[in-house]
Parts: sequence; C-alpha cells; structure tokens
Amino acid sequence: MRVISNPVLQFLAAALLVLVVIAFGTGRLSAQAANEEAIADSRAITRVLAASVAEPALPRGLITGRPGALDRFDRAVLDRLLVDDVQRIKIWDASGRIVYSDETALIGEQFTLGDDERDVLQHGSTEAEMSDLSRPENRFEAGSGGLLEVYTRILSPEGEPLLFEVYFSAAQVADRKEAVFSAFRPITLGGLALLVVLTTPVLWVLMRRVQAGARARERLLRAAVDASDSERRRIARDLHDGVVQDLAGTSYAVTAVADTLRADRPEASSRLSEAGDSLRTSLRSLRSLLVEIYPPELHTEGLAAALEDLVAQANGAGVEAVVSVRDVDAVDEDVVALVWRVAQEAVRNSLRHGAADRIDVTVDGRGGAVLLEVSDNGRGFEPGAVDATEHFGLRGLRDLIAEAGARLDVRSSPGAGTTVRLEVDVA
Amino acid sequence: MNHTTAQNRGLTTRLAGAGTALVLAAGALTLTGGPALAKDGDVERSGSCSGGTSWKLKASPEDGRIEVEGEVDSNKNGQKWRWRLMHNGSRSARGKATTKPPSGSFEVRRVVVDLKGTDKLTFVARHPKSGEVCRGSVKF
Repeated sequence: MRVISNPVLQFLAAALLVLVVIAFGTGRLSAQAANEEAIADSRAITRVLAASVAEPALPRGLITGRPGALDRFDRAVLDRLLVDDVQRIKIWDASGRIVYSDETALIGEQFTLGDDERDVLQHGSTEAEMSDLSRPENRFEAGSGGLLEVYTRILSPEGEPLLFEVYFSAAQVADRKEAVFSAFRPITLGGLALLVVLTTPVLWVLMRRVQAGARARERLLRAAVDASDSERRRIARDLHDGVVQDLAGTSYAVTAVADTLRADRPEASSRLSEAGDSLRTSLRSLRSLLVEIYPPELHTEGLAAALEDLVAQANGAGVEAVVSVRDVDAVDEDVVALVWRVAQEAVRNSLRHGAADRIDVTVDGRGGAVLLEVSDNGRGFEPGAVDATEHFGLRGLRDLIAEAGARLDVRSSPGAGTTVRLEVDVA
Repeated sequence: MNHTTAQNRGLTTRLAGAGTALVLAAGALTLTGGPALAKDGDVERSGSCSGGTSWKLKASPEDGRIEVEGEVDSNKNGQKWRWRLMHNGSRSARGKATTKPPSGSFEVRRVVVDLKGTDKLTFVARHPKSGEVCRGSVKF
C-alpha cells in the first residue's frame, strides 16, 4: 500500500502508461504510413522491372510455351528480377495460364484471373494487394508470412498482353514501419522519457519536503495532545487528591454526627443524613467527571474499579448499572485500555440516547479472547437506518479496534435495547 | 612421358571412335543409347562423333532447373566449333567454342528450365572445317 501511495511511483507509473500509449499510437500511425510507402515503392519497383527487365527480354515463343524460349528468358532475367524483397515472379497470359515463373513448377499451370487482374490486362494500370496465400497458385508461398503482390501489364513480342506479377515480402513493410517509427522515436518517446527523467528528481524533492512538513505537523499535534493530556491529568489528580478526599471526609463526618444526634435530636440527625447522602451523590458525580476528564491508569487489577467509576454517573442519574469483570488477570494492558475505551463510549451513548433504566457491563477473559458486552434496555434503534458504529461514536476507535484485530458488533432493534459487543483475541 | 600418354589416349579414342562409328551412322538415338530417367540425380552420357572426336553430356538437377554440361574432346587444340543445345526440340542456346589445352577440348555449361514431364536435352557440335558432327542426348 505504501508503494502504491508513493507519489513518485504514481508519477512514474502514469508516465510509463503514457509512454506505452504513445508508442502504440505512433506504432499504428507509422505502420499505416509504412504500408502506404511500401506499396508505393513496390508499385514503382514493379513498373521498373516490367519495363526495363522483363518486357525487353521476352523472346518469341514464350507465350506458346516453347522450351528454348523459356530457357533463354529464364537465364536472361532471373537474377535481375529477384532483387531486394522480391519473392516470386509470375507472368500470366490472358487465359490465366502462367507462361513463366521463377518457380518452374508453376509454368504452364492454369488458374482463374480476378477482376482486378483482367482489368489491368485490358487497361494497363498497376495494382497492389495482399496475397491470398490459400489460393493454389500461391501454394509455394504459403509459409512466407505474408506477401504483397503487385501486377502490371507487359506486351510479348507477338503483341499479346501479359500480366507481370511481382510478390514482395511482408518483411519489407515491417522494415518500412521501423524506419518511419525510428524517425518519430527521438521526438515522441525520447522527449517524453527525457521529461520524465528531468521531473522525477524534482518530484522526489517536493515529496520529501511535503513528507517532512507532514511529520512536523504531526509532531506539533502530538505535542499539543500531550500537553492537553498532561493538563487534564493534573486537574484530575488535583481534584482527586483535594476536593474528592475533602468531600469524602466531610461526608463521613456528617454521617457520624448524624448518627450521634439520632437519639437526642432526630430532626437534626435526619437533615445531616440527607446532607451526607447529598455529599456522596456529589462525590460519585465528581468521580465520573474525573473519569471523563482523564481516564484512569488502567491495568488488569484496576479495570473493574475503573468501570465502576465509569458507571457511577449512571447510578447518579437513576440508572441501575451493573459491572461484572472476570478472568482478565493475564490480559495485556493495551487490550484492557481498548476494552475500557469501548465501554466508555457504549455507556456514554446508552445514557445519552438509549433512555435506559438498566445498563449491564460485562468483561469475560475466558476462552482465549476478551469479550466485552455493554447492553441496555433502552429504546434501541432500527438496524440499517444508521451506521451503528458511527451513531455510537465509535468511529474514533475504529483504527484501534482494527489494529488490535478485534471485532466490534452493535445489535439493536426499536424498543429492545442495544448491545455493543467487542471481542479481542489474546491467545 | 606426356607424349606417350597423349598418344595412348589418342589411340584409345580412335579405337573407341571406330567402335562406335557404325552406331553413329545408325543415328544419334542409337549413339545416346536410351538414357535412364533421373529427375533426382545426374544423367551422364558419352560417345564418339562422326570423325573420331568424343563427346560427353551431363544433366544435373539444380534448384528446379537442369544444369547441362556438354563437352567435346577432339584432342587437338585451337579447333573452332559451333554448338547448340536443344530442349525438347527447341533451341535453348547456341554458340561458338574453341578447343583448348591441355586436352584439346571445350566445355559448355547452361541451365535450362525443368519442365513438367521428361525433358530431352540434345547437344550438337559441328566442326565446320572437317564437317565432323557430335550429337548426344539425355532425358531428364
């Protein structure tokens, strides 16, 4: 994932893609241009061979198949006709008979001429087309990998029109394509490659600066969070060591005085008892507030007490809250912290949204996993109507839950309360 | 030593020529003697001309064609001969040649088209001064 999100690699991948697209595009264009150029060249070569080599050397008697005429023509022109990429020569008469070919097995064979070939015989133009190598007259070229055939008209000494046909190798077209492509290559691919080479270091430096800036901002943010935590810890500690202790002492003292006066001054004793109760209620609320301000130092032994403090606010609000913790002695403190934070969110949401009158918090460390369940008997909600984890403010814990490999499940239905269930493997 | 060898060879040639003179008189086909068909291999025939000169004719396959080699050995240097090569009765090539040392012979080489079916190749050489004619054929 880190590799995929690296901007430099993303840039290089995009540049590579562009290079491939341009190479493909220029390849197609150059192939098209090369085809046209190769065909034009082949037409020109065919016309030259016909006019300057074949036609002047045609002896009388060739068109009637006289062997001596064939021999003389073959010896006179064979080496001069099979030049460059010329793969095959055929000379046809108007009936479709091959009167001469460098492939002597074809001489004298009869085939059907196409419309284009008959048209050239009649009007004398020069035509070109890809050879159909499946045709019987092309059986000797079947394995040549593609041929371009060009034909034009020549006249025998007897005045008979003949079709002079030259077959060129497809390799010539490939060579032309490479020649055209190589002309464009320095401008297109070379230019783009140079641009990539020049911009990659610049992008690399920019990315390093951005990353350094991000790290600096993260450090500042972490320092701010640490400072806030430190301040909250200090306030919580001061309240716990000062006000909470004072209130606790005062409540015990008031209760003791109320007990002393119960026989002699029952009215005053009753009022003092009420005052003591009020002080204890305020003390629970204050402890819940302290838990909210800064979570306690969590460890396995203190998880039950921390959860008791967490639900103290529920008790103060008239909600019956029951905490049950068992078999978490060997559990890692990170898991304990996660359990506590999820429980904190779940209890908070039950009190805010659930309108419940009972909350059960259970933690069970048996079976190789720690299972937390926070369930209430409140109004619940419709599953699917909202994202439960979002609704319950557990979004902030998502990363922690994922990192711990834990599974979070929120179950609810209208009128049937809500159960938040966290399972963390500890084996 | 060389002189003796040349004499012996000349005698041998004359004896061979005398031996085949009757056959020559009977006609060229008798001289060439019905050669075997050999599209895949060489065909070689030899014989004597009308005046005691010997001839040799060889046909070999060559890339869809036939290489024809005709040789006339008169044992005399500087003789001017006219020759022609016939392919299925049609003139394929002709020319002039002079016998040269050390053997007093000349050789002609031509390539002809290998046609469908049997190709009959006939080599004819004539010495205008003496009127001697050499004629040999092979079928390929």
